[in-house]
Amino acid sequence: MSLQTAGHNLLEESVAEAGEASARPVKIGIRNVGKVFQIRGSDRPFTAVQDVSLDVREGEFLTLVGPSGCGKSTLLDLIAGLTSPTGGELLIDGTPIDGPGLDRGIVFQQYALFPWRTALANIEFGLEAKAVPKRERRERARHYLDLVGLDGFEHRYPHELSGGMRQRVAIARSLAFDPDVLLMDEPFAALDAQTRESLQEELLRIWEKTNKTIVFITHGIDEAVFLGQRVAVMTSRPGRIKRVLDITFDSREGDLRADPRFGEYRHHIWTLLRDEVAAAQEQERTIG
Amino acid sequence: MADETTLTAAHPAQERTAPPPAGPARTAAPEAGPGQAEPSGAATGSAVRGETGGTRTVTAARGDAPTDDDRVTNFFKVAGGRRTSAASRLATVVKRSLALVLLAALWEVLPRAGAVDPVFVPPLSEILVAWYDMLLAGQLPEHFQASLVRSLSGFGLAIVLAIPLGLAIGWYRPVADFLSPVLELFRNTSAVALLPVFILIFGLGETSKIVFVFYACAWPILLNTVSGVKTVEPLLIKSARSMGLGPVRLFQKVILPAAVPTIFTGIRLAGAYSILVLIFAEMVGAKAGLGYLIQDAQFNFRIPDMYAGIITISALGLLFNLLLLSVERRFSTWRTS
Repeated sequence: MSLQTAGHNLLEESVAEAGEASARPVKIGIRNVGKVFQIRGSDRPFTAVQDVSLDVREGEFLTLVGPSGCGKSTLLDLIAGLTSPTGGELLIDGTPIDGPGLDRGIVFQQYALFPWRTALANIEFGLEAKAVPKRERRERARHYLDLVGLDGFEHRYPHELSGGMRQRVAIARSLAFDPDVLLMDEPFAALDAQTRESLQEELLRIWEKTNKTIVFITHGIDEAVFLGQRVAVMTSRPGRIKRVLDITFDSREGDLRADPRFGEYRHHIWTLLRDEVAAAQEQERTIG
Repeated sequence: MADETTLTAAHPAQERTAPPPAGPARTAAPEAGPGQAEPSGAATGSAVRGETGGTRTVTAARGDAPTDDDRVTNFFKVAGGRRTSAASRLATVVKRSLALVLLAALWEVLPRAGAVDPVFVPPLSEILVAWYDMLLAGQLPEHFQASLVRSLSGFGLAIVLAIPLGLAIGWYRPVADFLSPVLELFRNTSAVALLPVFILIFGLGETSKIVFVFYACAWPILLNTVSGVKTVEPLLIKSARSMGLGPVRLFQKVILPAAVPTIFTGIRLAGAYSILVLIFAEMVGAKAGLGYLIQDAQFNFRIPDMYAGIITISALGLLFNLLLLSVERRFSTWRTS
């Protein structure tokens, strides 16, 4: 019972504080977006996401949680312009997204570093695509390598770096070509708990420093609450936005995870997700 | 029977690295079999050589002038070069060269003891003397050069032509669809079966031999290039696309560098084939070359010379593979293993 009241309080606060955030212009507009795949060898189409509407404001850190297979990654691919929607529309700065571009950078869970390039050369990759002159490229790459705390590792190949370091390089690579939006697809899921926590804090530091708009996919509720200004909770497949929660803390000093409100947020999201996870597992059973 | 062995011995290395695109010609293998005359023993030997080449590592070569024996042990020393401590390296050398030393000892002792007929299998020392005499007489360098020029020409030609073709097939679906059936058919036609055709068309001279070597070398390079292009990690392509790379730059900056190690595997296999098949061609019809030398020595009952020729070929194959390995390492320092 008390848990439910906690949830209610949070919601009321969300509404109250929404005013401040909505003052900023919309960076990414997702309007009734749907994506249906035709599966080979099956005449039943596969609906990955359905009727998703969501606005991400400029400079906002939005996290997206949902049960596995709910279409989170599809949604990210759509924003990235790697696939196009079968319904609805996606806007960036008010103009429709058609194809990938250097105004958006993606960070993948599996790093996606080019194994034949050193850390520095990997960071330069996007700058080459942007046709930045060689000298400036090098300078900028070094700057971002420093920013993610990897100075001294310029000439290491990805296989000579730890998982956490690789992800730092990947983040630096996406930051280096200076996109407005950073799309992150469970970037810390493959890392151990300690590395993950330190990278989370570092990401927040970088976000505050660079004012990027960040859309961060995760299946970790803690991570979503810790990082996001807002948390969007998705339903099981076909993925829809179930609820969007504003996350506010009086102070981020000290151990945020020990803050009672952290626990309340987490529990609230957990409650929202519980049914969806059960539904997703049910789906997997019936399909498998 | 021998034909079957030849086929299965020559192909697994390709199969492993390059799953063939499905095509109706896949079944052509047994029909292509009869008519081949390649000695199965030689083919099996080469396959083994190609296999071991994949696992060993080259780090250093000793500076002093190698004798034939020396070169062989030196290779094994090099093989253990990864270890850091000198003591463990020495242990590895001893362990690895033990079988080889034993073989050499048996080869020396058994003929002398009369356990095998010394006329057909002379002691190793006599063979080495014969080898040295041929070296001084200029006979060996002459044949060696003739063989080397032929195999390098065919091999070089294969690299120059098969890599671009492989890239095109791997990258452009229509090219693959168009060429696959023909390639599938020819791939399953042994080079040895086509040698008479090459001789008919290009005559008995150098051209037919070079074309023959080219044909044999082109397949491993082509198939590995195709599979190298096709098996590039999709996430890397996605990542590059997300950074706005068009098809041309995607190919240049992602596909090509990612495919290099696989292409090199093909090049190394081709290097082994180039010598292997050439020897066969030289045995069929030539006036110079190591294959001719061996055949000629056997006809004239110069048994030590024959063995000397065989040892030279082994050494050449070994050296060629080591050379290619070191080039390969230079190009793929980034590889995890």
